[in-house]
Amino acid sequence: MCNCNSLRMTMVTFANGRYTYIHDDHGGPFQAVDSHHIVVQRISTRRFLVYIATLLLLANACNILMLKENYGAVLLWSIVLGFFLAKSLYWKRVLKESVVVMPTLGVQLETHYGSGRIVRRFVPMGKILRSVLNECVTPVTCYWSLAFILRGESELMLVFQELRPPVKMLVPIWKALCAATESKENSYTVTEDSH
Amino acid sequence: MDLMKSPISSTGKRNGQGSQSFLPSLLPSSFPTSTVSSIGILGRLRKLHQNPSLGLEKLYRHLTTGVGNSIFLVIFTDVMGGPTHRILMVSDFFYPNFGGVENHIYYLSQCLLKLGHWVVVLTHAYGNRSGVRYMTGGLKVYYIPWRPFLMQNTLPTFYGTLPIIRTILIREKISLVHGHQAFSTLCHEALMHARTMGYKVVFTDHSLYGFADVGSIHMNKVLQFTLADVNQAICVSHTSKENTVLRSGLPPEKVFVIPNAVDTAMFKPARSRLSYDKIIIVVVSRLVYRKGADLLVEVIPEVCRLCPNVHFIIGGDGPKRVRLEEMREKHSLQDRVEMLGAVPHAQVQSVLISGHIFLNSSLTEAFCIAILEAASCGLLTVSTRVGGVPEVLPDDMIVLAEPVPSDMVWAIKKAIHMLPQIDPQEMHLRMKDLYSWYDVARRTEVVYDHALKCSDENLLEHLSRYLTFGAWAVSRYWNW
Repeated sequence: MCNCNSLRMTMVTFANGRYTYIHDDHGGPFQAVDSHHIVVQRISTRRFLVYIATLLLLANACNILMLKENYGAVLLWSIVLGFFLAKSLYWKRVLKESVVVMPTLGVQLETHYGSGRIVRRFVPMGKILRSVLNECVTPVTCYWSLAFILRGESELMLVFQELRPPVKMLVPIWKALCAATESKENSYTVTEDSH
Repeated sequence: MDLMKSPISSTGKRNGQGSQSFLPSLLPSSFPTSTVSSIGILGRLRKLHQNPSLGLEKLYRHLTTGVGNSIFLVIFTDVMGGPTHRILMVSDFFYPNFGGVENHIYYLSQCLLKLGHWVVVLTHAYGNRSGVRYMTGGLKVYYIPWRPFLMQNTLPTFYGTLPIIRTILIREKISLVHGHQAFSTLCHEALMHARTMGYKVVFTDHSLYGFADVGSIHMNKVLQFTLADVNQAICVSHTSKENTVLRSGLPPEKVFVIPNAVDTAMFKPARSRLSYDKIIIVVVSRLVYRKGADLLVEVIPEVCRLCPNVHFIIGGDGPKRVRLEEMREKHSLQDRVEMLGAVPHAQVQSVLISGHIFLNSSLTEAFCIAILEAASCGLLTVSTRVGGVPEVLPDDMIVLAEPVPSDMVWAIKKAIHMLPQIDPQEMHLRMKDLYSWYDVARRTEVVYDHALKCSDENLLEHLSRYLTFGAWAVSRYWNW
């Protein structure tokens, strides 16, 4: 029986409507665990357009089939195309990315895909030196990203692998991560001093 | 105050005869121009201004110290201060390259930041240096990852840089775009895109260009297109203004003249005066055709023959270095001519203070900052009378000559005679009065205020200006 009263949820939606930020601050038995989720909205117009595009492609394939009567090649071509379409539109589509902060243990980063596959990465708290908000510049755009500086490694680790949420959503996650890593750092220095 | 006509100069007298007009600072009182002290003083004043409870007592203490007068002037301007702007400086030329344009952008940005404006610099990536970097004073620099293709210029795809420029303009909430250097493709593209989006635009031209050769003709056409619609333009000397107005067809009312300046805190003269038994002439420049390296090859042996106690120090590198080495070999001047090779910017001052005279043999210059640096170090300058050089220094600090070897030799002899009357410290103090980056920033602020007061136009009005440049330009615009 879940204790629903202690489940506090904060939902913040933004004007562009593409991402939804959910902050799960569990009370009850899992008090220390703090989860932040970024959910990708499924825009109905986009889905509609995707269906139309698929239908058009199939119609094109049938057309070619009628004209050329080269069944083998056309069948192969449409299967391959269909496969790539399914892969990019359904399997690789990201439903949700989450950051679960467990203050003394570490941080778990999850990516939920459309095919039901979930990729999880765990970073122990001692490995994280600092979490930083970076401005990334590409030849066409400039965006904010959240990353970890890890002890002993020269590369930054991105928290959100696939998504690029806006900075307003990244800031509360960054603050929570900083708070968690700082408390761990204090306990780290205490243990080092005592040796 | 009318910045286009400085009270001292007049356009007619600039063609090499008679008086030379120079462009001094507009602030009459002595001002702490050293950047380090300015940061401290302005920082303290900002606190006072924001925190009136700090009280009159502290203010009184500041006023009665030695730098009291200048602080009072700063308080006055700070309280009177106009609106603050958010400025985007765009150029292909910036740190980590060193040069006139790069230093100009850097020092101007630093002074504008101290005046309370927000400055962001946009340039292309240099090697590994790409992304966002912060420099002194919180100066944000965007190194966008576009590869340079020719002489440090970004590849000129007409609409390629539009997405990133638009993103930066919006996220930094820019109010005004300031482009530098006609030769920079990134600058032209940024100005064009900014104008289309309705931002106010200012352009600074740092060099003189010709009219006759193929490269210049193309460059001038591009410049006409970009400058057709710029709000205000700035040139670094009156000669440069004439050149820019002729090349680009800008109305002269839109062009302001604001000279460059020099960091007098960095370029200080030697502590003790050098003895005059051995006269040392210093040359620090890129050894290329434009900077008159060929003239040096003629002048140096002649001077060494006529004046036995003269030695030369040549700093800098370039394609003409080989010719200078050959000249040394041919006339056996190894002990009298020292070649230092490329001199890093931080060591230029130590090279300059080891000499008495600075020799500049450029064949064309809009404004020569090297001369300012030499004068700030207390050296007497000998230079060719080209471009904007006559406007830079007063008559008693510079000896001018035509860019022919015989005239230059005569000028060097005259300079050697003038040497005993020169006091390096006094020269340095005069330079501090005449030129300061803070003054350049104040004058640039006035230009920005003028630009922002220009009326907003809709797209059709803005487009009609391009009609004068032919159907191709307009059709290219419409395609987009």
